[in-house]
Amino acid sequence: MNDRTIRFIKSRFQDYYKTAPIALPDHLPHREWAFILYDDMPEKFMRRHKAFGSAGEALDYLAAMAPAHVYSSTAYYEYPSARKMIDKNWLGAELIFDLDADHLPGAPNSYADMLEHVRKETLKLLDFLLDDFGFSEDELELVFSGGRGYHFHVRSPKVLGLDSSERREIVNYISGRDLDFRYFFKDVAMDGDFGSGSKSYMGQKNVPVKCTLVGYESGWGKRIARYLTDYMRGETEKRYKKDMFPELRQNEDIGESKVKKIIKIAQNEGALEDILQQGRLDFDVRNFKEIAEYFMQESKDNFTTRFGASVDEPVTGDIKRLIRVPGSLHGGSGMQVKKLELSELEGFRPLEDAVVFGEVPVKLTVSKPFSVQLKGKDLRVEEGIQEVPEYAAVYLMCRGVAEYGQ
Amino acid sequence: MDLEHLALYPFVSEASAEVESLNLSLERLLSSPAYRTARARGVERVSQALEGEIEKPSIVGDTQALSELLSYPFARMLVIAVDDQLFTKRYALAEAKAAHTLLKTESMEFLLEFGEEFGLSAEPQDFHFKLHFTDYIRFSSPLKEAAWKLTNRQLQAGRVWVKKEEFARLLLEAIRERVEKSLSGEGTPSSSDLPAEVLEFCAPYAVELKEKFEVRKKQFGITDFGDVEPELFPPCISHALASVRAGINLAHSMRFAMTSFLLTIGMSTDDVLALFNVSPDFDAEKTLYQIEHIAGSSGTPYKPPACETMRTYGNCIGKNGLCERINHPLSYYQKKLYFKNKDKEEREAAKNEVGEKGETEKEALGKKNMGKKGEAGRVEGTEGTE
Repeated sequence: MNDRTIRFIKSRFQDYYKTAPIALPDHLPHREWAFILYDDMPEKFMRRHKAFGSAGEALDYLAAMAPAHVYSSTAYYEYPSARKMIDKNWLGAELIFDLDADHLPGAPNSYADMLEHVRKETLKLLDFLLDDFGFSEDELELVFSGGRGYHFHVRSPKVLGLDSSERREIVNYISGRDLDFRYFFKDVAMDGDFGSGSKSYMGQKNVPVKCTLVGYESGWGKRIARYLTDYMRGETEKRYKKDMFPELRQNEDIGESKVKKIIKIAQNEGALEDILQQGRLDFDVRNFKEIAEYFMQESKDNFTTRFGASVDEPVTGDIKRLIRVPGSLHGGSGMQVKKLELSELEGFRPLEDAVVFGEVPVKLTVSKPFSVQLKGKDLRVEEGIQEVPEYAAVYLMCRGVAEYGQ
Repeated sequence: MDLEHLALYPFVSEASAEVESLNLSLERLLSSPAYRTARARGVERVSQALEGEIEKPSIVGDTQALSELLSYPFARMLVIAVDDQLFTKRYALAEAKAAHTLLKTESMEFLLEFGEEFGLSAEPQDFHFKLHFTDYIRFSSPLKEAAWKLTNRQLQAGRVWVKKEEFARLLLEAIRERVEKSLSGEGTPSSSDLPAEVLEFCAPYAVELKEKFEVRKKQFGITDFGDVEPELFPPCISHALASVRAGINLAHSMRFAMTSFLLTIGMSTDDVLALFNVSPDFDAEKTLYQIEHIAGSSGTPYKPPACETMRTYGNCIGKNGLCERINHPLSYYQKKLYFKNKDKEEREAAKNEVGEKGETEKEALGKKNMGKKGEAGRVEGTEGTE
């Protein structure tokens, strides 16, 4: 970025910050703020340890400085402006989840595809936050990062005091990484309708037991039931029986007669419903529980990719993180860091909805060919002097592919 | 809780309130013949903790209950007087274990009330307890077995199910944490804060306990790492060291991990600086600044990251057999030190050909205690954006 470009971008940002819908973090005086300023450029250096006593102070600072990047701490401190971390006196921190295209498996083709991919991952995470962890919607704040992903802020009083290792435990849960199927496929003492005879149970002989998918009602247990029954149903939709359940046929212990019986079970919607609704694993085939467990073990990667959400672990584990402030601009894209209602996520299109600048034509010098979809239009620029709408000009300059003027 | 229970669980707040309400002067406590039993039991508590296990008496009558209750503050004074962080940890664990043995036999109702004391509120539900998951992980996260992982638990609308004996196990962690924090946490008295008469009372015992503990540390390499022994480093650190020596640049996170590891086991800033002198982008001033920062110039000395964090950042080069049994690079080094010292001792014992039986027993004890988690340090991530 040359000086002229810096001046132009700063003036655009300044304009924006005059009326920007900044969503200030709660307990504002206890937050540390940090900025990267255009005034310091080309040095990219972070001014930290700032604190604001009131909303007015914070907004005035933003309007005056028009920073390239605006962050506030996820932590609450007694003395947020102390220069040494230890002197700040940590009081607690929001629980943060960062979903970022950089950390997701698979490499989508375009920026738009990538954002779409992250959005789907975010929906999976939402499921964990609401159903498994039982947070209420008003304890969650969802933010589009202005770059390649989304942030969730959780402000339930229960989570504020969690330390790093406890937070990493939550990430592990969400990823399913430590899943051990032994704890789900179990023999439990009978108190229900299905049984497989008598075995010894907890030292006692002849206690009737049944094989059960423990925890089928919720959490990972429920997801296992879904995966298992989807798989079984899917296999029976194949045309020829000999092609069904190839994964099981690979196991020497599962003979042809067993596979036949399993096909029968899989073709019975009632049986699949029993797995989903009651965790039933006792069927007319010996060792069905073991077979199901074996299958899950073999499909673990696939299973956890489908149901687990891939969040950036170090971010969640860091209890003194700085994170972009909703309503500010992302200096690397010129897009808005945008707070979203949970219901907005399904239909959110970042490349339209987080673009804030106008249509006034701007002349710029493009250094390499570049294409992007903005505001629903395909934009392709070639090397050389170009004239594009302001929103596109800001984007190209922030991305570093163009300089202002000719 | 009745007096008997307060005596058995003397770290609950009701118990300390009870002690306070007795309004005993320090002088009487320390010298009156009436409290001789309490004093003796206090000393016994601490030595039992050092040797292995605190044994709880079966309590008959209020007099004995009172002695048992009062022995706890005595024991605490002693631990403070010994003034050794590892010793404190060991004592806290022993108190928690002894209480846990008893807790396992208590009723559901008692456990519920007991849990409340530690902010562990639960709802009973047919022989199970339902806890909020944050309370669950607060006390389960130090437990490494797969069964304790939140992932392998039934979680519904923020609640986790645990069995009665599992609830008691979580309480063990809660007690350990409380006892340890009450002795070495922020705002707790250090040995220099103890009144002169207390110090005088404690001194002879403290000296003896310290000596015993030192012997143990030497024998079993508990820590205080002594001379740095590079051949005992875990694979990740050895690999990083080899890279540095070969002039290969390390990732920032690995540089941090290696530096904090070396500083923690007792290397000086200068020695670490010398190591980096071969790095391709060596800048003495900047490097020194960074090392000193990690060493604590800004207020907090940084602990090296645990294995999990190492894996997260891609700095774990793969586990060997010993790695499977630890979760922190420091524990690896500790264990190696222990094995080495043990070997040396066995060789010497063989040389002397005396081979006293008593020694082997002690060793077995020491071994048992080494299995415990070391101070798995946490990195205080202070930087970071996006």
